[in-house]
Amino acid sequence: MRIRLKEFNGVAVWKWVTNDDSCGICRMPFDASCSECRYPGDQCPVLHGECRHCFHEHCIMKWINSQQTNKLCPMCRGEWKSLP
Amino acid sequence: MSSLKPKEIDFNEQWSIVLGTVRSVISMGRFGQTDRAIWQERFFDIYYLCVATPDSHAERLYEETKKFLEDHCKSMKKDIAESDQNMLSIYVKYWTEYKTGSDWLNTLYAYLNTHYVKKRQANDMDTNYQPFECNNDTIDPPLVEIGEMALDCWTKIIIEPLKDRLVKLLLEQIHLDRICECVNQTTIKGVIMSFVDVCQHRKLNILELYEKSFESPLLQATGEYYREEGNRCLAKLDCIQYMRKILLLIDDEEFRSRKFLNPTSYSKVYNECLQRLVCDHFDTFKSECNELIIKEDLDALRNMYKLLKPTHIGINYMVEKLQDNIARIGHEKVQSLKGENLSTLFVETLLELHTKYMNVIKETYANDPEFVSSLDKACATIVNMKYGNRLSAKAPELLAHYCDSLLRKSSKAATDSEIEEKLLSSITIFKYLDDKDYFQRFYQKMLARRLINQQSISIDAEEFMVTKLKQICGYEFTGKLARMFQDIKVSDDLNIKFLEYVRSELSSSSSSQNQTMTNLLGLDFNIYVLQQNSWPVAQTITNTFILPHLLEKPLHMFEAFYGKKYSGRKLCWMYNLSNAEIRMTHLDRSYFVTMGTYQMAVLLQFNDHQQLTLTEIEEAIKINIKELEKQVLSLIDAKFLIGNTSELTMNSVISINFDYKSKRTKFKIPLISQKEANHDSESSQKAIEEDRKFYLQAVIVRIMKARKVLKHNSLIEEVITQSKQRFLPSIHIIKKCIEILIDKQYLERRTNDEYSYIA
Repeated sequence: MRIRLKEFNGVAVWKWVTNDDSCGICRMPFDASCSECRYPGDQCPVLHGECRHCFHEHCIMKWINSQQTNKLCPMCRGEWKSLP
Repeated sequence: MSSLKPKEIDFNEQWSIVLGTVRSVISMGRFGQTDRAIWQERFFDIYYLCVATPDSHAERLYEETKKFLEDHCKSMKKDIAESDQNMLSIYVKYWTEYKTGSDWLNTLYAYLNTHYVKKRQANDMDTNYQPFECNNDTIDPPLVEIGEMALDCWTKIIIEPLKDRLVKLLLEQIHLDRICECVNQTTIKGVIMSFVDVCQHRKLNILELYEKSFESPLLQATGEYYREEGNRCLAKLDCIQYMRKILLLIDDEEFRSRKFLNPTSYSKVYNECLQRLVCDHFDTFKSECNELIIKEDLDALRNMYKLLKPTHIGINYMVEKLQDNIARIGHEKVQSLKGENLSTLFVETLLELHTKYMNVIKETYANDPEFVSSLDKACATIVNMKYGNRLSAKAPELLAHYCDSLLRKSSKAATDSEIEEKLLSSITIFKYLDDKDYFQRFYQKMLARRLINQQSISIDAEEFMVTKLKQICGYEFTGKLARMFQDIKVSDDLNIKFLEYVRSELSSSSSSQNQTMTNLLGLDFNIYVLQQNSWPVAQTITNTFILPHLLEKPLHMFEAFYGKKYSGRKLCWMYNLSNAEIRMTHLDRSYFVTMGTYQMAVLLQFNDHQQLTLTEIEEAIKINIKELEKQVLSLIDAKFLIGNTSELTMNSVISINFDYKSKRTKFKIPLISQKEANHDSESSQKAIEEDRKFYLQAVIVRIMKARKVLKHNSLIEEVITQSKQRFLPSIHIIKKCIEILIDKQYLERRTNDEYSYIA
């Protein structure tokens, strides 16, 4: 071996794992924040439902809290259950 | 003491007794002394006259006293008028005596004053109040207290007929004082002040007599004197000498005012002097001003400032000239800068200029705010000047570079306080930037490089600077920068946790708890995990890059570790920002070189081959061909590799250089060439333009949301006010943004020049 790798200083950015580009409620990309937040990232997380739909946590919670009776996913009208 | 009971009194008999005392009191003993007993007696005599039965003699007493005072004044007037040379001193002598006497007399007539004069005055107020018929000549002069009556007599009988002669003499005396002849100060002041004192009882226009009879002729004479004096001086002196001379003249005249005049005249005389000596010769000042500024004759400029500041012309002309001059010097200096260290030279030149003129303004112009703001304006034009065909000023980039050079670890050791001081002074320049967003962009980029490459001199210094920027531009401006620091802190913590994770995964026995990363994974391994939007990192295009074998395991382990720690997130590797240290053992000695990931990947291919074509390398590591060419070229530039053609083609044969030699054994090679860096600044300019459009759209929407309907011009104005902190938007770009928002149906046009917000 003429040339050996001694050290690696890696840089990575993290993104939310999503199955869509943008949030179905606020229409903002998941890489950006919901309309209420100033910055994306830690403060504006993405929430996945059992129905495989995902939204900004702030958006879906607002939606769920505004529903009187059934808590339904705004995309598929199935019952909304958040995945951990 | 006799009874106070009113009794019958023969007026003539009693008056002749009272008169004797009155005469002695008013003349302060010139016509016989009045002792205490007599004084007491006369006091009661006046009382008895006033309360006499069957009828009060008050009215007669008043009239007789008035007649006496008039006669007394007439005789003094005769004396004064006939004394030729000594008129002023005789006047003052009589006046001093009469003034004191009249005060005493007023006390002697206390009963008459309170019980006759005051009551009659009150009655007149009630019954004779005729608002539309006042100042009627046929009405008797109103009753006044005896003291006041005495002063009125003096005014009427002595001052009125003699004032022209008196004033003429006064002006002569003052003129003599001006040409340094000896004059009697007490006499002059006494005469002048008599014009004020004689009216002291009046309720209105106390100064009318003084101002009309004396002050206005005085001002006229003063004006004429200094007009001549000014012309005379200017005929034999140059402007600098003239200013020095007239400052002395004006000082003298101020002193003279305090010697002779009533305080209300000080400023009037001063203004008259300035008018004649300064304002009348403003053209002379004007023509000299620019030259003095260029020659930096600070003494002369200080004099000019002192002279012009209090005039109505003011210092605008000087301020303007200074500003032009600073701007001109600044432009010349900035344009003549060249050399490697342009950013440092640029900032230090500007700071030097700024400090110099701050001092000049402090020493010469008494820190006058108008001059301070002229310096600010001049600095702003220098800083924001667009040289050549550039669309933007160079200053934001240079200043960011300067900050970078301060905050980057370097051989030049400087103490923390020195660094902070320099950073603080760079803020001075920052404040002048129009395009603060440009600065932010460059600053962010360089900060990212410092943080990722661990080149930052200290986190304290970094945070110090960001705090300062925040103080000026607000939270929004530095939000991203603050979040970058946060990511670095989080990543440091992650690396420690990752090492623990690797130990627990890879070593079964507890004895290996102290193993290093190199022991466990074959190389030292550090990771920064960043939040995408806070860092100036480009979106990665689909990445086909084939990792060097040695890196596969650590990276996959880290991904697994990260996934466990944060669910719902995935990592995207930014190889273009990552770097690696390699050890080259095929040369005269071992070299440790830090380089980019792709450079490292290219170089590692030569472990198994002496030479490779570009195509072969491309197949081995699978990166974009343009990117690959750059990497290979940079390695050829660094002399690690040798190409067989000067221009790279797909068939170029690249071979490893076995003759490589360097003095240093541990170093770093640049990731991109200089040409690339220039291109970089161009592309970031485009990115900034895009950012501005987004920012302006947000501002417009915010304004329109609040105002609902707004005229075009008001909207433009408001947008400029709100974005000034960041940059000065052109009208053109604002219009463009409004168009975009109309297309996106945020706004609509109501009439030609009015917009409304669509909710």
